[in-house]
Amino acid sequence: MATVTFDHATRVYPGTERPAVDQLNLHIEDGEFLVLVGPSGCGKSTSLRMLAGLEDVNGGRILIGDRDVTDVQPKDRDIAMVFQNYALYPHMSVADNMGFALKIAGTPKAEIRQRVEEAAKILDLTEYLDRKPKALSGGQRQRVAMGRAIVRQPQVFLMDEPLSNLDAKLRVQTRTQIASLQRRLGVTTVYVTHDQTEALTMGDRIAVLKGGVLQQVGTPREMYDAPANVFVAGFIGSPAMNIGTFDVKEGAALVGNAQIPLERSMVAGLTDADAGKVTVGFRPESLDVVPSGTPGSFQVQVNIVEELGSDAYVYGSLQSDLGTGELSAGDSDQVIVRINPRDVPMKGDIINVAIKAGHEHVFSASSGNRLG
Amino acid sequence: MSASATLPAGLPTATPGTYEVRSSRKFQWGSPLTYLIALVLIAACIGPVLYIVLGGFRTNSQITEDPSGLPAPWVFTNYTEVLSSESFWIAMTNSAISALGTTVGVVVLGVMASYVIARYQFAGKGVMYSLFAAGLMFPMTVAITPLYLMVRTLGLTNTLAGIILPQIAFALPTTIIILVPFLRAIPKELEEAASIDGASRLGFFWRMVIPLSLPGVITTGILAFIAAWNGYMLPLFILSDPNTFTLPLGVANFASQYSVDTAKVLAFTSLSMIPALIFFSLFEKRIVGGLTGAIKG
Repeated sequence: MATVTFDHATRVYPGTERPAVDQLNLHIEDGEFLVLVGPSGCGKSTSLRMLAGLEDVNGGRILIGDRDVTDVQPKDRDIAMVFQNYALYPHMSVADNMGFALKIAGTPKAEIRQRVEEAAKILDLTEYLDRKPKALSGGQRQRVAMGRAIVRQPQVFLMDEPLSNLDAKLRVQTRTQIASLQRRLGVTTVYVTHDQTEALTMGDRIAVLKGGVLQQVGTPREMYDAPANVFVAGFIGSPAMNIGTFDVKEGAALVGNAQIPLERSMVAGLTDADAGKVTVGFRPESLDVVPSGTPGSFQVQVNIVEELGSDAYVYGSLQSDLGTGELSAGDSDQVIVRINPRDVPMKGDIINVAIKAGHEHVFSASSGNRLG
Repeated sequence: MSASATLPAGLPTATPGTYEVRSSRKFQWGSPLTYLIALVLIAACIGPVLYIVLGGFRTNSQITEDPSGLPAPWVFTNYTEVLSSESFWIAMTNSAISALGTTVGVVVLGVMASYVIARYQFAGKGVMYSLFAAGLMFPMTVAITPLYLMVRTLGLTNTLAGIILPQIAFALPTTIIILVPFLRAIPKELEEAASIDGASRLGFFWRMVIPLSLPGVITTGILAFIAAWNGYMLPLFILSDPNTFTLPLGVANFASQYSVDTAKVLAFTSLSMIPALIFFSLFEKRIVGGLTGAIKG
């Protein structure tokens, strides 16, 4: 067991100018499950591969425990990796696949057999030990890949989107299995995914990357409740947060016909570059449907209602007499409101909603950073 | 109940609980034209071979009287005499050494060269691949005189090494062209997984590349074996001592020596075909597999 530290780790691919990973500083505690998450091309896989030793580190260093592994060969780093396509050795049986690393290391045969069988028992693979990977289903292959990592008893597990080749149902099931397995084994784990739900459900802590730059690290709760900037706010959470940029007037943001009062420290944090505007975000569940005319409420015209059984979401557009500001959630250009599934408005209706007190997130319009 | 309600009027409902076993595997005869063309082609291919094999079972007088007849009576002395002759076995041994030596050389050198071209990044890699590919357009006929001079300078005339080395060289282009895409198809993640598991680059080559490329290696090996077994021109130039003759040379030599004894020549010829024929039919499936197969995870 060991900690993992990225110390200003930088990777620049030959022939490119912008670093794929730029000055990454990250400390992962012993036994922690850290999830690297971000949109594709954000440098999360590259960071993981740098830790694995599959990518060169062009600047800074990487430590496993107290040992500087920046220039150490992958095989000497005492790590195990699960690949997105599993990378099982097609000509070897499941047992040989799992025991391959031990065989290379010269472990006695009896011990290999014993450790492989233990891992197979944990992963429910005992009856498949003599099969070739070709004869396994996707989920079984995924478990073999996990088994190959477990058998080695490494200091760190690295997982590169291990669930993305599974179907949706199996993914949810395996997600829980991996998380509970990791808690049980207590091995430090770095997990890469582009799926923020996976990140929220599995990680002890989450690190969000964008364009090779670390945006924020924190527990799932921290990421959800206090996103450090507009990007994290929009990325974490499903459905996505409603975010818009609005004029500030007399210490309040003008959202539609409503005035959202801002704290004094936030207003003081505004600079000239913001040009009197502020970015406000609020999650779909932070909105209450209120009777029309309630102070601080604004109107949303319903375009579509999504019913999920336990919840229902209204996708609509912000109605405003002043016509100022754009408000949208994620990639859609609509406002999302969570409503009571027993009391659903019709398409085309106009509903009045108000932000629950203290549930708004305020960001600088120019820098995107959180205010206050 | 509900199912029958949806049927168009007039159709009987299927009896529940019974299954009609449809003979979907029933043999489907193709069009007669297909069979005609196939038969003509087969006859064209098999005819001469059959004539040679059957001719060996006849006497010279039978052949002269009726060149296209069947053996009547069947004569086995031609075959037994050839099988008991020393020159046949010498030629057979030489052919076997030459073909096996070539195969081993081609496979070992071919896999190594292809691995480097397929998976290492270095300057001049593309040029090297094209150079090997260009070897395909270079027939041995063109090169035979300088090749002979070179072999003579090396002092390898009248030795099997003198034909094995050029045969390896001429078989390498095909081998590399077949093997490079094969080795390239091995996923990069496999190499990375192996390197994390502790395998060095050479370890990866031995433990992963060799087993995974086996179908391709077998294909190229067989092609090299058969090319060497059937090679005529190169041995003709290099070998002049009857003790070093390979089978094609042996057949030619035997034919000129016993030109009157047609039946015996036919027996010798058919016997010399057998090993290559067996080899080919044994591995025929593997050859096709190696040409189409890539590695699947």
